[in-house]
Amino acid sequence: MAETRTFDYMPAGPGDLQVDRDDPLHGELLKLNMGPQHPATHGVLRLQMVLDGERIVSCDPVVGYLHRGKEKSAESLGWRKFFPHTDRLDYVQPLLNNIAYARALESLAGVEVPQRAQEVRVLLMELSRIMAHLIYLGTTAIDLGAVALFFMTFTEREKTYELLDAYTGHRMNNTYIRMGGVYADLDEDTARAIRTWVEAFPAKIDEFEAMLTGNAIWYGRNKNVGVLSRADCLDLGLTGPNLRGSGEEWDLRKTEPYSGYETYDFDVPVGTVGDCYDRYLVRIEEMRQSAKICLQALDRLEKSKGGEFLLEDRRYVLPPRSSVQTSMEELIHQFKIVTDMRLPRGTAYSCVESSKGELGFMLASDGTARPLRCHVRAPGLLNVQAIPRVAEGRLFSDMVAIIGSLDFVMGEVDR
Amino acid sequence: MVIVKRKTLTLAERLYLPEILRGLSITFRKMFQPKVTRQYPEEPLPTNEVTRGQPRLRELTEGHLACVSCGLCEAACPAYAITIDGQETDRFIEREPERFEIDMLRCILCGFCEEACPKEAIFMSTELELAGFTRESFKYGIDKLKRSTEELAPRMEYIKRINERW
Ligand code: SF4
Ligand code: SF4
Repeated sequence: MAETRTFDYMPAGPGDLQVDRDDPLHGELLKLNMGPQHPATHGVLRLQMVLDGERIVSCDPVVGYLHRGKEKSAESLGWRKFFPHTDRLDYVQPLLNNIAYARALESLAGVEVPQRAQEVRVLLMELSRIMAHLIYLGTTAIDLGAVALFFMTFTEREKTYELLDAYTGHRMNNTYIRMGGVYADLDEDTARAIRTWVEAFPAKIDEFEAMLTGNAIWYGRNKNVGVLSRADCLDLGLTGPNLRGSGEEWDLRKTEPYSGYETYDFDVPVGTVGDCYDRYLVRIEEMRQSAKICLQALDRLEKSKGGEFLLEDRRYVLPPRSSVQTSMEELIHQFKIVTDMRLPRGTAYSCVESSKGELGFMLASDGTARPLRCHVRAPGLLNVQAIPRVAEGRLFSDMVAIIGSLDFVMGEVDR
Repeated sequence: MVIVKRKTLTLAERLYLPEILRGLSITFRKMFQPKVTRQYPEEPLPTNEVTRGQPRLRELTEGHLACVSCGLCEAACPAYAITIDGQETDRFIEREPERFEIDMLRCILCGFCEEACPKEAIFMSTELELAGFTRESFKYGIDKLKRSTEELAPRMEYIKRINERW
C-alpha cells in the first residue's frame, strides 16, 4: 500500500514572501509571462511567474491555448470517426493513442483481439515510445544548448517516420488501428526494415549517451534540478518515466499487463533521486528496453505469419472488400458499421503505458452510435501540474530543464 | 527492475577541455558521413501505392465516374470534408453524383472514405502537395478529382491485397 500524504501545496503569492521589500538589496518582484509562444515551452504552455531576481517565487501554468474540444467532438462524431482525433492528442506518438482508444472500445464491446494483431500493436507501441523519447531527448537537449544532439535524434526519428510511412502510408497521424485489430497486416519488407533499424538503434543510443551523460554542462544543469520525491509524485498523480525516475517501480506493462506484455522479456528502469538527470537516464534505458521488445515482437510476427490481424465480427469490423462487392449481406454490414456502429450500453476504462505515463480512455455508452461521454486521462496534464512544485524556489534557468524533463505535449494537455 | 546508474564525472570530464576536443572529433567524423538532409522540394519524397495522398475519384468509363453517390464516404468522413448531391442516370449504374466536392482544407487524408466505399470509386492518390490563393479554390469538384482507372490501378490493387483476409 502506498503511503499517503496530505496535499499541502499552495502557490506562494508575493505577499507570502518573508523579505523586506524596502531593502534596496531585494528590489521589486517581477511578474513574467513565459509562453504561450516561447520555444522552450514545447507548444503553447504559458507560465505566469513571479520572479525575485533570478529566483522563481511562484509559477502558475496556464493551459488551454490548444483546446480543440476533442472530448466533446467525440460525442457528436461517433465511435469510429473519433480515431483520427486521437492521433492529434499526443501527436508525437499517434499510433499509441490509436491503440489506447481501440482498447477502450474493445473492452466496452467485450471483444478479444487476435494474436497477430496484438503482436503488431506491441511492435507499434514500442516504436511509438522510442519516437516520443527521441523527441524528448532532442528538444530538451536543444533547449539546454546541445544543438548537435537535436539533429542526431531527429535524424533517427526521421527514419522511424519512414518505417511508419512504408507501413501506413503516412508519416504522422497514421490512423491505422481499427477496433478489433489493425487496418492492414505488417508486410515482410516493412518488418525487415524495422528489424534493421531496431538492431542498429542501441548503437545510436550509445552515441547520444556519449554526448550527454558525462557532459559537464548537461550534468550540471540536470543534476539535482527539479527533484520530485516519491510522495510528491503520488500526490500529483504522476505516472510513467517521471514516477519511475523517483524510484517507484510502476509500469502498467508490468503491473496490469495488456496486449500480452506479460510474455515479453524486459526490465523497468527506475531512478533513485528523482531529479531531471534521473528522468533522463530512465528514458534512455527505456528506449533500450523498447528496442528489445520490438525485436521480440518481430520474432513472433515471423512465426505468426498469415494469421488474423483483424477480428471477424460483423458488428464492429468492416467486411473484406471483395465480399462487399459480391454479397448483399456484407454490403448491408458495411453500411451499418460506417453509418451506425453501436456499442453496448455501459462504461469502460482502459489504459496503456504511453511514453508520458498512464494514457487512459473512459467511455460511457448508452447503446447508441455515439459516446455519451469520452474522457481522456492524459498524463501530460498531470505532468504540467508538477511544474510549480519543482520550480518554486529554483533559478529561472532551471525552468527550461524542468519543462523538458517532465515531458508533455500540449496537444494532449489541452485536448 | 533495473536501477539506472548515476554517473559521477571523471576528472577529464570536469576539466572540460578534453571534452571539447572529444566533441570536435565527433563533429569532424560526422563531416565525412553521408548527408541525411533531403532537399525538398527539389528532391521530393518517394511515393508508392502505400502513400495515402489526397482522395481522388475513379473513372469507370471515359468521362463517367464509378461513384453511385451512395453517400457512404460522406458518412464515414471524420472531417466532414465531402459533399455529395446525387442524380439519376441512364447508365447501367443508375445513379451518379451531380456534385461531388471535397474540401481539401478540411480533408485530413485519413482514408476512411476509401475504406468505406463499396464501389471502388474513391482512392487515395499519391498527390500530396496542396497550394492555392483562395479558400474557394480548395473545394475540389468532380473535374479536379477525376482520375483514370489506370492512374489509380496500383492503389486499387494494393487495397485489394491488404483486404484479402483468409
Ligand atoms: S462511397 Fe463510393 S460510391 Fe458511395 S458516394 Fe462515396 S465514392 Fe461514391
Ligand atoms: S481522406 Fe478522410 S478526411 Fe479526407 S475526404 Fe476521405 S474520409 Fe474525409
